[in-house]
Amino acid sequence: MAQQGPPGSGRKVSRRDFLKLMAAAGTIVTFIPFIDWGKFLPNPAANVSAKAKVELPDGSQANIKTFPVNHSESVIYPKTNDQVLNQESFRLWQFIRLPPELGGGRNDVSAFRMYSQVCLHLWCLWKYWPDPGRKRGECPCHGSMYDPINGKAFAGPASLQSPPSNVLPMLDLQVDGSGNVWILPPNWSPNGNGIVGFGRFLRE
Amino acid sequence: MVATVSHENSLVVFIKWVYAGIDRTIFMGLKFTFPGRFVSPLGFLGMITFVLFIILGITGALLMLWYEPELDRAWNSVQNINNTIPFGFHIRNIHYHASNAMVMVALLHMYYQYFSGRYKIRNEIIWVTGVIIGVLTILEAFTGYDIIFSERSELAISIAASLTNSIPVLGPQMRDAFFGGGFHDFVLRFYAFHVFFLPIALLGLMVVHFPRFLVFDVPMVMAVAGAVMITGGVFPIDLGTKFVPTSPPGITVPEWYLTGLYAFLRSQYDKFVTGVAWPGLLILTLMIMPFIDRYKKFSWKDRPLVTAVGITSIAQIMVTTYWGFYIDPNIQKSLLERLVIDPIFLYTVMLLLVPLSFGFTYMIIKLAKNAEARAKAQPKKPAGKSSINIPENWIYIIFVALLAFQIYLNIAAYYAVLSGMKNFSLFIVGIIMLVFAGMFHLYRHTKATASAPRPPTKPITPPTGAKPIPSWSRPPSPGLPPGSAKILSPPPSPKGQSIATQSPSRVDTATSQANLASSKDTPPTEATMPDKTVPEAKMSDIAKTADTDTDKESSMLG
Repeated sequence: MAQQGPPGSGRKVSRRDFLKLMAAAGTIVTFIPFIDWGKFLPNPAANVSAKAKVELPDGSQANIKTFPVNHSESVIYPKTNDQVLNQESFRLWQFIRLPPELGGGRNDVSAFRMYSQVCLHLWCLWKYWPDPGRKRGECPCHGSMYDPINGKAFAGPASLQSPPSNVLPMLDLQVDGSGNVWILPPNWSPNGNGIVGFGRFLRE
Repeated sequence: MVATVSHENSLVVFIKWVYAGIDRTIFMGLKFTFPGRFVSPLGFLGMITFVLFIILGITGALLMLWYEPELDRAWNSVQNINNTIPFGFHIRNIHYHASNAMVMVALLHMYYQYFSGRYKIRNEIIWVTGVIIGVLTILEAFTGYDIIFSERSELAISIAASLTNSIPVLGPQMRDAFFGGGFHDFVLRFYAFHVFFLPIALLGLMVVHFPRFLVFDVPMVMAVAGAVMITGGVFPIDLGTKFVPTSPPGITVPEWYLTGLYAFLRSQYDKFVTGVAWPGLLILTLMIMPFIDRYKKFSWKDRPLVTAVGITSIAQIMVTTYWGFYIDPNIQKSLLERLVIDPIFLYTVMLLLVPLSFGFTYMIIKLAKNAEARAKAQPKKPAGKSSINIPENWIYIIFVALLAFQIYLNIAAYYAVLSGMKNFSLFIVGIIMLVFAGMFHLYRHTKATASAPRPPTKPITPPTGAKPIPSWSRPPSPGLPPGSAKILSPPPSPKGQSIATQSPSRVDTATSQANLASSKDTPPTEATMPDKTVPEAKMSDIAKTADTDTDKESSMLG
């Protein structure tokens, strides 16, 4: 290997080195397909490719004509047929129609917000409080408070966490012609819709 | 040896045949020593860690029969084990306390090896694998208390997941890969890690980590097992509160080996730095220590800087461990105020501990060297240690008394179980183990003293349980330690006798000394020696951690 032929012979590769190169390339090519097998590990159930109904606890779909202003409900998303999986707090989302002063009276999708109900601090379940003077998300455990307009924690331990762990994951919504509210397919990444229990980068 | 076969029964012949067959396997590369008398456990803390690992494997396998790794059933199944399954309480408590003991003993083992400089002389691989094993042991214990799925487990899983997420490169992907998507996956995967992935990795690393010379001290092993059970009886572990996502959890702190990390997390500084980078820095420092440590000597007294770094790490670990536990008891304050540790205060203390530890190290090294010099200046006292000499018939009386006590304890444990006093019965079983340890020690002590008045000219005979090799093959060949007495060591000589007067086998002493001199790579340990003259001094060296360079290699015990 030290002798690559005479000094003047330039880039000539010896037969032995060529063989080694081929063997190495063959080994790599043989094992390349297994890299993709790493997809075995993440749970694919979270990847929803179709839009889904905002199904309220009473079983009906949320409708912009009937859903009260300054009100919230817990929605399970993605919903499965398995009762055990549906109990999971990671599938619990807070579906909020904003108070009038924040634009909740408008008749389009901007009146709604849908945030993960898992507090970014230590995974308790927060909820929206519509009382006058509150009108914010509050976590009962350690008092983190969330701004309903963008899901950013503005008080409590969650607000002290560095981005993305200070902004709640949020789902994108859509309202169809008959006023029904739908959830668009999410992108589970900090730069997209966020990661439940971890957070989301706030886009300005 | 061949001649003695004729009057051995067929069972002995069979066992010897099996033993000769095992001789062809890798297991005989390990040299097991069953000490014939008390040896300081500091030298074989690693073996104790391994024994605890085996205890954990057995109790864990039993718990697997009842545990259900499912979101809504995990906590209930643990409650079932604890409250209704017969002896489930015992098994669970042994499992829990043995896990704590394993982490503790592993830490002690590491620091003992650290301060005695044993990671040197081609033991770097053993040291590095040891550090990895230590990290995996803590992960193993961590995943164990997570899968109970109490409020504390939920808090721990939450922290683990967000720490993984906070890793800048591939963090979210790693979280997806290792944790799955949500609580249902967490329980199942932590269970898989706890019962298979981590133990199998630990076992694989242990194969690399084991040195060739291992000490298996039966009384000490039984005493440790007994101590685990007694702790389980006195401090039975509770179930915690079942995690309900809709109700606020109470204040929980992690297990003691993670409260140090928790203290940093509570300082509210960036998660990655406090929760991943700082512990990673500690682990990395420990790992590369043998390559930094360029001192030619082994003793902690001769390696001041390395010792000072070790003392600093102990001081910082102790302070942060306590700090992580401490939560302001004043409930008038807000929870946030009680939980958050002021980062400036915390890091100032951490930095202050460095000069303090260095000063402390300087002081104790100075004191130790002074004491050494003073001891040298004074006339040498006879090396004999004070020993309790009990007349022979009294030993038999003690033995019978202990046996009677064992029977009494057995009855007491039985009745304790019958009347539902689970922790009391666990406590008594622990005492039974301790008494057994005492009995075993008494047995070997008596055996040693019984064979004491040997005539000085008596020729040494190979021990009866030894490997069936021809008896003439006993040459003082260099590089070949006398391995024939591997398993059953000969009855050791009395402690009181000095080297000069005790000369039952000049030839053998000479042989072993020749071996000692010629075979630096494979130094003979106590039991590989036919007699006790040279090792007698050696074992006492191990016992009191005094390490000189020449003794170093031969005192490499598990």
